[in-house]
Amino acid sequence: MSSPTSLTETRHSSPVPRRDAKPKLAVYWTGSCGGCDVSFLEVGEAIVEVLSRVEIVFWPALVDAKRSDLEALPPGSIDVALINGVIRTEENAEMAKLLRAKSKYIVAYGACAHLGGVPSLADRWGKEEIFREVFGKGFRPGPPPGANGEAALPDLLDAAVPLEDVVRVDYVVPGCPPPAPLISRFFGALLGGEMPEPPHVFANVKALCEECQRVRHDDRRIERIVRPHEVLPDPETCLLEQGLICMGPVTRGGCNALCPAAGMPCTGCLGPTPEAGDPGTAMLSALASLVRFEDEGEEYFPKEDGVLEALADPLGTFYMYSFGRFRRKR
Amino acid sequence: MASVNGFEPRIVAFLCRWCSYAGADLAGTSRLKYPPNIIPIRVPCSGRVDPQWVLEAFERGADGVFIGGCHPGDCHYVSGNYKTRRRVVLLKKLLPQLGIEPERLRLEWISATEGQRFAQVVTEFVRELKELGPIVAGGDALRVTRDGQVQIER
Ligand code: SF4
Ligand code: SF4
Repeated sequence: MSSPTSLTETRHSSPVPRRDAKPKLAVYWTGSCGGCDVSFLEVGEAIVEVLSRVEIVFWPALVDAKRSDLEALPPGSIDVALINGVIRTEENAEMAKLLRAKSKYIVAYGACAHLGGVPSLADRWGKEEIFREVFGKGFRPGPPPGANGEAALPDLLDAAVPLEDVVRVDYVVPGCPPPAPLISRFFGALLGGEMPEPPHVFANVKALCEECQRVRHDDRRIERIVRPHEVLPDPETCLLEQGLICMGPVTRGGCNALCPAAGMPCTGCLGPTPEAGDPGTAMLSALASLVRFEDEGEEYFPKEDGVLEALADPLGTFYMYSFGRFRRKR
Repeated sequence: MASVNGFEPRIVAFLCRWCSYAGADLAGTSRLKYPPNIIPIRVPCSGRVDPQWVLEAFERGADGVFIGGCHPGDCHYVSGNYKTRRRVVLLKKLLPQLGIEPERLRLEWISATEGQRFAQVVTEFVRELKELGPIVAGGDALRVTRDGQVQIER
């Protein structure tokens, strides 16, 4: 690091040695749908500038590169490695560790790397059960008959886990996939030489409701629970008040409340606020407080139960992106 | 699952200080007999029981979780017990998805004068849990071992 008095330096140690130097960037996918790699295009024309100001050293979705190319790099020679996807296979874990060794900073990019994401919902079952269910009895990912061990597929880990379970993570760009404002926030900090002290999550500390334009009323309660395909929500009012399970109260803001603005309840892709902690139990509590009628008491119990009964899939609703992080303990 | 030989379920019990905890006390001072399987935790109100504590208790190997609150209309804080009841309804929907039988979570209204009822309810809960067997590894999504360690290897 150069002297702290240098104008191109910020108060925090930055992965960018000098403002005019191009940071060396790696982008890698583990157990991913590919959406995160595409998400960079969300920032629009700005992507052209971003790409002109970084040096891509490894990005399988964009540039042809082999694992051996990565292995040949000196340790710490990559400034920032963005890893998206869940850690599901032995190979995912190996690659994450390899990137950790070669990079100054590791970024968990997207909900899967951050919290396990949708694929970690598979952690309801063990690896063996998944194999049995999908491939039938006796299947193992061994080499094809007659082939040597090299030809074997990488084995599944016992669970689909977030990136932080296998390597130290410095930064998080959350979302499924990360929304444009947060991608911009990240690249703005990186290229401006103003990276915050790790660990840091590039999203708001405050809840999504704070930035949502929908109107919330005092003394709100819910007398019914509905699913998005069952209603055409009022365009002005808070979706939760209309009975749609919106994770806004427990989810970090930063996306400009993208989904509620479009009439869809937030499913919690940016992950929970530090205050909420476990998003599932926090939302469960919030919902239990909201579901009530004009008065409370024994005579209302059956009616309340009727409302709560309509919640179709509590686990999938409360932990859509965070099961691997919160309900599966390490 | 059949009753496991010599299995003694461990129950974490969250008891409201105004009613159920006093009820448990009364059971004690009245020298009523009930099985020693519960670990009582006094809380200011059943409404103070965070659902996270319930899941954490199971994850750390509790075979049952018991919540004792005031009878409807008697809550010291007006409606804490109603909130708890609705949380329990939701938790009982969530637990099976985590591989935990919903019967392992039990909410009861017990007043400060119902020492007898407290002893009775605990006895009943212990009997039911003995029939269910221990909350253990296997098909359990959480794979909790008896010493509270979470098992990753199979
Ligand atoms: S719609 Fe969702 S994000 Fe917006 S205020 Fe209501 S709960 Fe919060
Ligand atoms: S509204 Fe919720 S689900 Fe939609 S992008 Fe924002 S955090 Fe993600």
